Amino acid sequence: MTDEPPDRFDVAVIGAGMAGMAAALFAAERGLSCIQVGNGGGILFASGLLDLLGVQPTAERRLWRSPYEALAALALDEPGHPLARVEVPSIRAAFETMVTCLGAAGLRYAPLGDSNRSVLTAIGTIKTTYGVPLSMVAGVEALNVRPPCLLVDFRGLREFSARQIAATLGDRWPGLRHRRIEFPGCEALPELYAAHLARALEIGETRARTIERLKPLLEDAHAVGLPAVLGLARVGEVHAAFEAGLGVPVFEIPTMPTSVPGLRLLAALESAVSARGVIRRHQATVRALAFDRDEGAATLDLEGVPGGERVVARAVVLATGRFTGRGLTADRGQVRESLLGLPVRQPVSRESWHQSDFLASSGHAINRAGLETDGAWRPLDASGKPVWPRLFAVGSILAHQDWMRSKCGSGLAIATAWAALDQVARQLGGNGAG
Amino acid sequence: MSPAFFQSTLYASLALCALGLLWRVSAWFRVHIGPDARDVTFSRRVAAVFGGAASALFSLRVLRVLGTFVLDALFLRRLFANAKLRWLGHLLIVAGFTLLLLMHALAAVVSAKLLPGYQPTLYPYLLLRNLFGAMVLAGVALLLFGRWRQRRGLPQVRRPMDAAFVTLLATVLVAGFLLEGHKIASPRAFYRMAEQFSGTSDPAELKPLRAFWAREFGVAFGDLGESIDSNAVEEGRARHADACASCHSKPASAFISYPLSRALAQVTGILDSGRADIWLLYLHVLACFLGLGLLPFTRFFHAVAAPVSLLANAAARNRTQSVTVRASRRALALDACVRCGICDQQCSVAPLARYLGNPGLLPSHKLIATGELASGRILQSGHENDALRAADGAFLCTDCGRCTNYCPAGLDLEDLWIAARGDFAAEGLPAPAQWVQARPALAWAESMEVALAQHGFSDPDALFAPLSADRRSFSRCVQCQTCTNVCPVVAQGMDTEHGVDLTPQKVMNLLRLGLRDLTLGSRMVWDCATCYQCQEHCPEGVRVADIMYELRALAVHRLGSVRGLREPS
Amino acid sequence: MKYALFLGCKIPSKLPAYEASTRVVLGHLGVTLVDLDFNCCGYPARNVSRDAFAVTAARNLALAERAGLDVLTPCACCFGTLRHAIRFISEDAELRSRVTQALAAEGLAWSGHAGVEHLLTVLARKVSVDALAAAVRTPSTGLRVAAQYGCHALRPSNVTRFDNPMAPTIFETLIRATGATPVDWPRRLDCCGDPLHEANAQLSGHMTRAKIADALKSGAEVLCTACPHCHLRFDAAQTGSSDPTIRTLLYTQLLGLALGLPAKSLGL
Repeated sequence: MTDEPPDRFDVAVIGAGMAGMAAALFAAERGLSCIQVGNGGGILFASGLLDLLGVQPTAERRLWRSPYEALAALALDEPGHPLARVEVPSIRAAFETMVTCLGAAGLRYAPLGDSNRSVLTAIGTIKTTYGVPLSMVAGVEALNVRPPCLLVDFRGLREFSARQIAATLGDRWPGLRHRRIEFPGCEALPELYAAHLARALEIGETRARTIERLKPLLEDAHAVGLPAVLGLARVGEVHAAFEAGLGVPVFEIPTMPTSVPGLRLLAALESAVSARGVIRRHQATVRALAFDRDEGAATLDLEGVPGGERVVARAVVLATGRFTGRGLTADRGQVRESLLGLPVRQPVSRESWHQSDFLASSGHAINRAGLETDGAWRPLDASGKPVWPRLFAVGSILAHQDWMRSKCGSGLAIATAWAALDQVARQLGGNGAG
Repeated sequence: MSPAFFQSTLYASLALCALGLLWRVSAWFRVHIGPDARDVTFSRRVAAVFGGAASALFSLRVLRVLGTFVLDALFLRRLFANAKLRWLGHLLIVAGFTLLLLMHALAAVVSAKLLPGYQPTLYPYLLLRNLFGAMVLAGVALLLFGRWRQRRGLPQVRRPMDAAFVTLLATVLVAGFLLEGHKIASPRAFYRMAEQFSGTSDPAELKPLRAFWAREFGVAFGDLGESIDSNAVEEGRARHADACASCHSKPASAFISYPLSRALAQVTGILDSGRADIWLLYLHVLACFLGLGLLPFTRFFHAVAAPVSLLANAAARNRTQSVTVRASRRALALDACVRCGICDQQCSVAPLARYLGNPGLLPSHKLIATGELASGRILQSGHENDALRAADGAFLCTDCGRCTNYCPAGLDLEDLWIAARGDFAAEGLPAPAQWVQARPALAWAESMEVALAQHGFSDPDALFAPLSADRRSFSRCVQCQTCTNVCPVVAQGMDTEHGVDLTPQKVMNLLRLGLRDLTLGSRMVWDCATCYQCQEHCPEGVRVADIMYELRALAVHRLGSVRGLREPS
Repeated sequence: MKYALFLGCKIPSKLPAYEASTRVVLGHLGVTLVDLDFNCCGYPARNVSRDAFAVTAARNLALAERAGLDVLTPCACCFGTLRHAIRFISEDAELRSRVTQALAAEGLAWSGHAGVEHLLTVLARKVSVDALAAAVRTPSTGLRVAAQYGCHALRPSNVTRFDNPMAPTIFETLIRATGATPVDWPRRLDCCGDPLHEANAQLSGHMTRAKIADALKSGAEVLCTACPHCHLRFDAAQTGSSDPTIRTLLYTQLLGLALGLPAKSLGL
């Protein structure tokens, strides 16, 4: 390996979940040079649906038709919640930018408005979300109106059961029928995988045969719901072909993770950041992060790259996530922040981490643990000051939120990333010089 | 030696040689190498080769073919490009020997006809004969030196017959030099000639001549002593001019035999009375005839086979020859290989051979193994290890073609290796992917269990498979099935008759469960395309594809030790 | 710019046009190529012995280091393999000592300095895309080209450092530099099937044919490769096939034509 000086960037984003990807995307959109480290693990497990804010307060499990009204309520109830600290116009701009970039990368979403949407999940529950991919949006209307509808699954695709969905919905949708068909060419296989079905449907002949198998089952159905396997890279084309072939609206239902929509989302995000010149480091982690106060730069030492790699950045965005992504680690007594050992706001004692009822609607105190940040999204040290002037934290690592119960995961990630990058751009002086 | 004896032994050895040649050449059309050559009959092969030869001769290519032949077979152009020392040695031997053959052995038909007034004892023939003999000896010395210099390199192929034949050759030359040296100094030879050509053998009468010959020709007359009367020498000179000079030049020009005769001077009397002239002659001649008769049966048959191979190569020239022709070229290659080892030096995977400690990867060894496979010798009981190592070596070839390009004998080694691999596979010795997949994973796991219980395995796993021996490599696997979803092999399994038995995430799961041995024989591990999509996507950083590679290496090592020959499929 | 040219085992005997076009094109662009006595990159040994693979690969690196040069290879498989060797040797101290010992027996040593580049990375990042575009004389305007990345250069990206493995752009950028139009095709990052063709010819064939069909369906006229394995695999799958075929070109040939170099010199 030749000994070259380390590459220099305006922004280093640590983490490639939704928040990290959003941060990298927004950095590039602002003309800042960016390097991003991490795997898109969290995104692989995504459903493709973009939540903004669905439940507020979580203890009451109150659902909101309008996420913006929910945000207003949030601002009153929990002013410390990260989403409450981002201005609404910024949230709108962040989502619009995200959806536009995804669309340009081949993953189109239904136009965003002021309302949340309800969609069916793979187990038949109803989920409140905000951004819905075009391939799934007909399901929103169908769930709303509840006309006669056909749900189809494929034998062998174990992560999706039309019968299960119908059973869960019970009497709430009387006109919902369910059928199981064999995927063409796979009749002898005991087990099928969603991604392979999706790629197979990009082949015209396979697609045509599948549509032919569905046609006799239509009867009076006003819409057809399928597991999310309508193509991987060409979802628009495959979805349109199904609708044309069957003559009725067709909608996808996201399957259990790792689902095809997750793979699509990852591919689209990677494509979007790559097209904007973001340098990516996959299967690598940041082993050490040091701040040079005089130079005003941070040095990151990467691990997982043979021989190691050192990069220098003028600003760092920490988007390392929570326990699954190992942004936070917990032992028996304490929660730590993995990379820098930053102070983590957490319950005073181990005993108060959890409630005794696991599914308690108010959630558990440990879920709200995380990093405290100042008004500019900078994590604080023990004395309450920003650890470094241009170190920012975004996404689920932040304290004061329980994204799973609030149904605000994507919103949290996208909104805080936007707000933090505003700060980055401000500090680095608008468009980056480097 | 009586002419009758000479002739009868000559004809006997010629007959043996001819029969041997016939038998060896017929093998080129009889021996089957390669599954595609199995059905090609003897007559078709003969017809194809002669047909091909005819079409080459009676075409515009003939000049190029002959030109290549002259450059490669006579002037050893390819050898010159690669190994100048060896080229020199070889050229010296071939040129020296050929010239000796023509000028000396076949003097009656060649020299006598082409060179007016030829007498072997005249200048320059004394010199030339010694020169040609010296060339052969120098060439042999150079080649032996070259071998010695390479002794620490790659293991070379040897045959005991080679040493025997070289010894025979050396015997011919050394006996020849000794004979000539002895005759130069021998008084008995002098008296015999004197009686024949001057009518007397009386020492007193011949004193002047003897004096002359003692001084100028080095004859070691015991009774003349050190100082010789110069008047006698002058008188002898005159008599020499009359009776001997027309056939005899001073032997000093025989730069090996003459010094040899000087060295032998002291013991000439003993040699004379022991009739060294007879037994040296018998030794010289019989060694020649023995070599002649045995030639087709030794490696030096390459003197015939290699030029034929070079001709065939020149005729082929960028055109793929039909299998009927190639079938014969393969068998020819077994004979035409001169064991020069240049192929080994050029072999791209030679470092692998060194490090794995398996010379069976090297072309020269592969060639011999191919022959032993064709004859069935390597498949006999007791040779299992040889067969396995030979097969292992055969399948690590990358078909880079360097051995073929550099071979001085023009062997089509690329074709030979493909054929050999086919033969190995047909005999139950295919590539690892095939022999592992011949049994289900569970069957292998059971065999391993038995072996482990009996004797365990000596190498620590970490040598072959450090990642899969360290649970930290896969303990983070959450069975998310991402690897399985991005795997093109699992994807393609949907279009074929049967999918893979395990998926990548199932392999990782078996590792997590401590059931690694179940994976070693699985189709997934061996059908893995090493595209690295799994490892690239894994959210937990599990090095899935690296582990797949490791499992293969471990399987080859472990399953190889419980593998028997000729597995039932 | 000077590199030790690593051709590997496939190119000289099976795809001499790639060697010819590489030398001609790089020479035209001012890159000096030096020939060293390299051996096999070690790829086939990965299935058999980790140690043997590492030693075989490291020998090449040691030769390059002795010559004071980085390695440039037009073969994506050799590129990936050599880089994997670098990884294993750097992360495993015991392996490193065994490799050092084995090399020392030959009087060689590798201290980790020789780098490994692929033809495309050198063209895009060292010669630079701008320089290429400026040198183009006869742009291939309107030619629709599908880029075949090949797996071993692209993944795993932390080892090969070739490009973003999920959304690479380097090959399309290089194609654009020749004036041709790169085509977006869903299966562009898929494996061509070559590593499998001996172990499972049927499966391998499926993979290869699926790629060809996808490239054609996406409107490509040319399938452009940067690895002899991919190239030979496509050619083998299309020889004697009754399915629709696509023209295959090596990138050096595509570039060479755009640079105005004679087709014959590029092996066409």
